[in-house]
Amino acid sequence: MNTQQRVPVTILTGFLGSGKTTLLNRILTEEHGKRIAVIENEYGEVGIDQALVINADEEVFEMSNGCICCTVRGDLIRVLNNLSKRRDKFDYVLVETTGLADPGPVAQTFFMDEELRAEYALDGIVSLVDAAHIEQQLGRSDESTEQIAFADVLVLNKTDLVNGEALDGLEARLRGMNRMARVVRSERANVPVETVLDLGAFNLDEVLERRPTFLEPEYPFEWTGVYSLDAGRYEFSLIDGPDPTMSLIVVPDQGADDAALRVSAEWCVRQYAEPAEIIHPGGEIPVGRHVNLQLASPGRKSFFLDFEAHVQVGLYTQHLSEEFDFQLRNADGVVVPAEVERTWVAQHEHDDTVGSVAIERDGDADPEKLNAWIGQLLRERGVDIFRMKGFISIAGQSRRFVFQGVHMLVDSQPEREWGDAPRRNQLVFIGRNLDGQSMREGFEACLT
Amino acid sequence: MSDLNGGSPMEVLGEGWSAMVGDYAMAGGWSRGGEALVVGDAEGGVYAFDGESGETAWERRGVHDGGVLSVAVHPKGSVIATAGQDGRVLLWNADEGQVTRAIDVGSSWVEKVAWSQDGQRLAASCSRQVCVYDVDGAEVWRSDDHPSTVSALAWSRRGELATACYGRVSFLGAATGKARQTLEWQGSLVSMVLSPDGDIVACGSQDNSVHFWRRSTGQDSEMWGYPAKPSALAFDDSGTVLATGGGASVTVWSFRKKGPEGTRPGVLAFHEQPISTLAFAPGAMRLASGGRDGAVVVWMLKVTGRGRPVGAEDLGAPVAQLYWRPDGRALAALDARGGVTVWKIGQESGRIRRPRQEQGLSTGGN
Repeated sequence: MNTQQRVPVTILTGFLGSGKTTLLNRILTEEHGKRIAVIENEYGEVGIDQALVINADEEVFEMSNGCICCTVRGDLIRVLNNLSKRRDKFDYVLVETTGLADPGPVAQTFFMDEELRAEYALDGIVSLVDAAHIEQQLGRSDESTEQIAFADVLVLNKTDLVNGEALDGLEARLRGMNRMARVVRSERANVPVETVLDLGAFNLDEVLERRPTFLEPEYPFEWTGVYSLDAGRYEFSLIDGPDPTMSLIVVPDQGADDAALRVSAEWCVRQYAEPAEIIHPGGEIPVGRHVNLQLASPGRKSFFLDFEAHVQVGLYTQHLSEEFDFQLRNADGVVVPAEVERTWVAQHEHDDTVGSVAIERDGDADPEKLNAWIGQLLRERGVDIFRMKGFISIAGQSRRFVFQGVHMLVDSQPEREWGDAPRRNQLVFIGRNLDGQSMREGFEACLT
Repeated sequence: MSDLNGGSPMEVLGEGWSAMVGDYAMAGGWSRGGEALVVGDAEGGVYAFDGESGETAWERRGVHDGGVLSVAVHPKGSVIATAGQDGRVLLWNADEGQVTRAIDVGSSWVEKVAWSQDGQRLAASCSRQVCVYDVDGAEVWRSDDHPSTVSALAWSRRGELATACYGRVSFLGAATGKARQTLEWQGSLVSMVLSPDGDIVACGSQDNSVHFWRRSTGQDSEMWGYPAKPSALAFDDSGTVLATGGGASVTVWSFRKKGPEGTRPGVLAFHEQPISTLAFAPGAMRLASGGRDGAVVVWMLKVTGRGRPVGAEDLGAPVAQLYWRPDGRALAALDARGGVTVWKIGQESGRIRRPRQEQGLSTGGN
């Protein structure tokens, strides 16, 4: 099976009114040199001359074993197997689903049916999100959650109907649910075609370039500033921000390099799990303890820190400095700048049960251990794992392996040569109630 | 497969002829009692070749917009029905290649057509419905919607129409289409074949199994363990063995005595890629298998389901369909590159008897 020869397939999902038809028409009318076959749902309304449009009933077939991972779209199997027989065939397939569809079965179809798998390769899942209505939809239906969790690209559409702050909050929530996805904003589904088609198996390199912290674990804090301070009293002040409270830990003896920051970050994660001490404006901030600053009163609010000798401290704050305009002044009222600043990937604050687990480790994986681990993970948690993607460095193999999967189904193949590049493993899982810690440990144990 | 070529005494595939159609050769059949071979292709053309010489008798390109999906030759051999993505069924005069009737079945693809064994009725499946026509193409009845798209059709000897779709097989009366029996099972049924006496219904399922029912007793069984979905199924004319694809091996279940439950099937290994089509020679325990590897293999089977290859050829392109001439003395293969290949069948191994019926079962498996 050669990926190069398989026809790429993009699945287009999104609730009714999210702009699927608009995007579909945009893709079909744009000059991209592709001959696209469109499999529309029965309510589809696209009528473009140059495209091969086939209306198919969404026939979701469950198997007798009751396994949701074996659920497939029977209509796609029939239609696409027949279409692939024509010599003058198309070179791209777009599958539009109805708004209420769970993307699982349609994605699984391209893994489950061996005949289809020989001819077609899932390129990506594009989910359109109606910025004005998604919050309500997320509260009401599993399908909208799944459409977000399954996506490679989230098109946050109708952004003109929502204010910028709400949009940022929404984007943060979507990222919290699915960190693998690229989020693209649009007003009338006017996104460049190349952001939704031909994504390649998974361009993790490109994702990493865009967001270097992509594979990092999530932290309960977003910002750290390292300050070098002489003995004395200091005033830490903040203006009104997006939250009436903010958690904070002052870490003593903080090194300024990234390794030292990470060590403290892990320590802070445990401290953040402890109940916070409530501090009101004018109060003293103790060192090394989880505190919660009360910021409901209007205007700039001050808190105080006292040091008996020269220290280098790290302030690990729940929110970004720029959101609250943090200022640290010495007794003379002079602002002391941070020596080093760093931002962290924040844990999403919504109680969404859907989230992402990213694993990044240098070194080689033992193929047998890896198979055993993945096998067990998917057997036990496959129902809750919506998508997985990544690269693996397998011991003894000169090329890196790229894999992607849906629920319990995984497709992996050797990709480019490692060459001089450092050998490392990058894995991302999107799912429901995933235990990142145990997954990271499980993978760690596979390394040689 | 080289050990079977080059004039081996076992080789039953004798030299015949070959021809080309315009695109993927989708389906066909022997017409005029075996004097001609008709073939429909993926660009919508229908072709007829002289059965002996392979010369083109007639060709009509592009008649089914989008491509031909199914072909059924009337049991008497003089009328052909073709169906395609254009939602139509065309009836043809087999001699002249003239369309005698064009039937608009529906707005969806017409995926299957099948003549009843007495030749009085033609069934066509279109999305969730089946339509039944008389020999002149006049509609006799149209079924209610099935729960999903009809995936296979077969007429029983008693004149009932069996339909398969997700979750069930239905037997519909020939006169009005009233459901006489429904056999349910949760699975996506992708292929169906009836035993010659009509008692056994076997279906290949998307979940890589074969499910079958005995209509007389209501007993049903499930055969698991296929590496792929069994889309090719064939009963021999005596109803003793059922050959099934679903992987690179042909798995043969014997219904002798109390089988196949509790028995081990015959496993015929030769192909390197999944089986795409299976066909028994009329009245013989001689099976032809075609695979996606391009190989066509002829097997001699025993009633136990065990067997050995007696001939093999490589077409160089995935095999789409195999059709035995009604006298069993020639075998036609259609392939994915539009190739049509006919072999004369040697007699040195296995008896070739006259078929007991004028035409093999019309299972709509095209």
